[in-house]
This record gives sequence, structure tokens and C-alpha cells, in this order.
Amino acid sequence: MEDIRAYIESGILELYVLGDVSPDERLQVEEMAQKHPAVKAELDEIERSLEAYALKNAVEPSENLRDRVMGSILTNFGDDNNFPEKPHPVNHKVVELTARKETNFYKYAFAASLALLIASTVALVRVYSRLQQSNNQLEAIQLQNQHFSNRVNLMDRELGIFRDPSFKLLKLQGTAKTPASVVTVAFSAARKKVMIDMGNIKLPENDKDHQYQLWALVGGKPVDLGVFDAKNDSTGMKEMKPIALADAFAITLEPKGGSVNPTMDQMVVLGKF
Amino acid sequence: MSKKHKISLTEEQLVFSLRNHEKIAIEALYDMYSASLFGVISRIVIDTAIAEDVLQETFVKIWHSFSSYSTEKGRLFTWMVNIARNLAIDKIRSKDFKNQNKNQELENTVNSIDEQNNTVYKPELMGVKDLVETLRPEQKSIIDLVYFKGYTHVEAADELGVPLGTIKTRLRMGIQQLRKHFN
Repeated sequence: MEDIRAYIESGILELYVLGDVSPDERLQVEEMAQKHPAVKAELDEIERSLEAYALKNAVEPSENLRDRVMGSILTNFGDDNNFPEKPHPVNHKVVELTARKETNFYKYAFAASLALLIASTVALVRVYSRLQQSNNQLEAIQLQNQHFSNRVNLMDRELGIFRDPSFKLLKLQGTAKTPASVVTVAFSAARKKVMIDMGNIKLPENDKDHQYQLWALVGGKPVDLGVFDAKNDSTGMKEMKPIALADAFAITLEPKGGSVNPTMDQMVVLGKF
Repeated sequence: MSKKHKISLTEEQLVFSLRNHEKIAIEALYDMYSASLFGVISRIVIDTAIAEDVLQETFVKIWHSFSSYSTEKGRLFTWMVNIARNLAIDKIRSKDFKNQNKNQELENTVNSIDEQNNTVYKPELMGVKDLVETLRPEQKSIIDLVYFKGYTHVEAADELGVPLGTIKTRLRMGIQQLRKHFN
């Protein structure tokens, strides 16, 4: 009890009430006040006397200040956020909010990524189909190009044949059997080449078991120059087997693959130099 | 606002309704304590307009940080007057305030405090004279320095050129006198 008394008389309680103590001293006083009712009572007395002293020394602020203070405090009265909360729930809420914000951020980020992914996929599919289309067009154009260059080559060759003075053109006229038939043959003795102008043959189409066979007559003997098919849409010059010398050319219709000797009654055209 | 309409609550009611953020609480708080708090503030901040700003800040701070007040730690007024005193001291130590040169330096002599007491105190405040007679001058100057001017007891010892132990004793004796006087 003596200790308590000494503690009270030390003047620390007065300094506590006056707010003139260190945080450690503050805790100590509060602890003492909780443990010892005498300390608590003494504190209360000191507080009351200083409060009364302050009241004695009170100064009235100007009258309009009340409204100003009320205004500054109550302006946002309806807003719950402006109300003081107990410290712990406040902290808790703040933490929760931060967490929620983070979640929201990732949510939005995820949604944005997903949208981006979908958009990219759509764009990719479109670009791919466009690419495919372009490739197809390119292929078609290349094919056409090839076709044209083939045509040009072919025509060049044909032109070459026509320009080559060693080539002789011979029109094989239809026999009595097929008077309407005409086949043009180009022959160059110097080059040992025989060609049929496929674009300009007038022969009945052969069936699949038969083929036309070109013969050269050399000294009255037929020499096989190969077989060919007669079709309406044939083009170009067909080069036959080489031969250096020929008096005449004839074409017979032979079984598929040709014959060793011509079947004379199946001769369709004949031409002589 | 005439005195008739002022709201008054018991301290228990006041604390309860402040905790519940009731509008009436802050009104009652203002009516009951604004003058006492302004008495402290206006002795530290001499300029009335600035002192009223500080009083406003004090009530705003009380309202918003009321959750940190606990009845176990002491009376409501003790808590509030410490807020008011700290805000007032912060104000006169702030750069703005110093630049305005409106502050009165902390080196104010005790005499000037007494002068202020005589000039600033409103005549309708009864009992001041009794009080002056109750307190011995050396007790009053210490209480006023620490309670009204926000000096620490160490600063007060320096100011008055008195040993720390003597300061504490005089503080205690002075407050004992106040207790006798008010009881």
C-alpha cells in the first residue's frame, strides 16, 4: 500500500493526465490504474479537477463556428465510410478490399486475355483461309502460265517446223474408203524427222481396240513409223519414228499397238511426193 | 445559438451515442466542451481565426478517431483536451504558421501568460479570481504552462529555472488545490 501511495505522490499521474508521459509510462500508468482502484480513483480526481479548471478558463468561440464545425462533420453524414469504425474491423475491411481489387484485376486480365485469344484465333483462321485462297489462285495462275508456256513452246516448235526449209509438208488425201479424210505430214529428210499435224487431222476417231499407223513407202516397201490416236481435240505436232527417205506416206487403221505389215484394205489416207 | 438550446448529455450517454455515430452526439459534444477546449486552444494559438480553425479540426478529429477512445483510459475530456492541445501546438509549429509570423513564440514568459489570462478571459467567467487566490502563483504558472501552453514538464522546468522534482511537486500540489477548490 505504501508503494501505491508513493506512486500516487510521485506526480506521474498528473503528468499522465496532462499528456506529458512517454508511451512506456503511459502503459505503466494504465496498468497500475487497472490493478489498483486507489490509482484509478486518484486519476479520476485529477482529471475532474483539471476539467473543472479548463471550464473555469473556458473561452466561447464565435457563434457561427458551431455551424461550421457541424457542417464539416455532418456534410457527409449519410456516407458510412466517414464514420469511425473500431480499428480492427477497419483493418480487416481494408485488407479484404485490397484482396478483392487484386482478384478483380486478375479477373479482368483473364477476361481480356481470353478475348484477345479468341480474336487472334478468328483473325488467324481468316488469314489462313485468305492464304489458302491466294495459294490456290497462285497455283491456278502457275498452271495457266505453264499451259501458256507449253502452248508457246509448241507453237514455237511448229513455227520452227514451218520455217525450217528442210521440212516438206505433205497432205495425205483420203482414199476411196474415207474420201473426207485429210492428214498433214511434215517430213525432213535432212533431220530424219516425220511429224503429224495433230491439230489438223480429219480422221474418224479410232475405237479403243484400234489405232492408226503411219507408214512410209520406201522403194515400194512400207516402213512402220509408229501408231497414234485420232481425237477431235488433239493439238500440236506428233513426232513419229525417224526415217531419212520416203517416197510416200500412208495411214492404215490397225489393231491396237500396230501391225508389222499394213492392212491395205484399211488404208485411210495416202500421199506421195 | 443561445445557451437555452444547448444540448447536454451525461458522459456515459455521450460516449455511447458517439460510438453509434449519432448526430446528436457531436452536437452535444460541441455544446458541452467547445468553450473549454477553445480556452486551451486560444491560449496556444493567439489568432482567434486560426484558433477557431484548430477547434474545428479538433472536433473533426474527435469524431473520426473516436474509436481510439476508451473509457478505461480516463475521462472523455482528458482525451479531447490532449487532442486539442496537440493540434494547437502542431499548428503554431507548422511552417505556414511560422511564415505568417502570427504565432507567439513558445518563449513566452509566465508573466505574459498571466497577462493573457487577464485580457483574454471573458468577464462573465466567474470564479477566476477565487481560483487565482486558491492557487499559489508558482503552482498556477506551472499548471498553465503545461495544461494551457502545452509545455512538457521538462520544458517548464527550463523555462522557470526550477528543478524537475520541484516542477512535479508544484504540479501535484497545484492540482490538489484545484481538487479542494472544486469539491
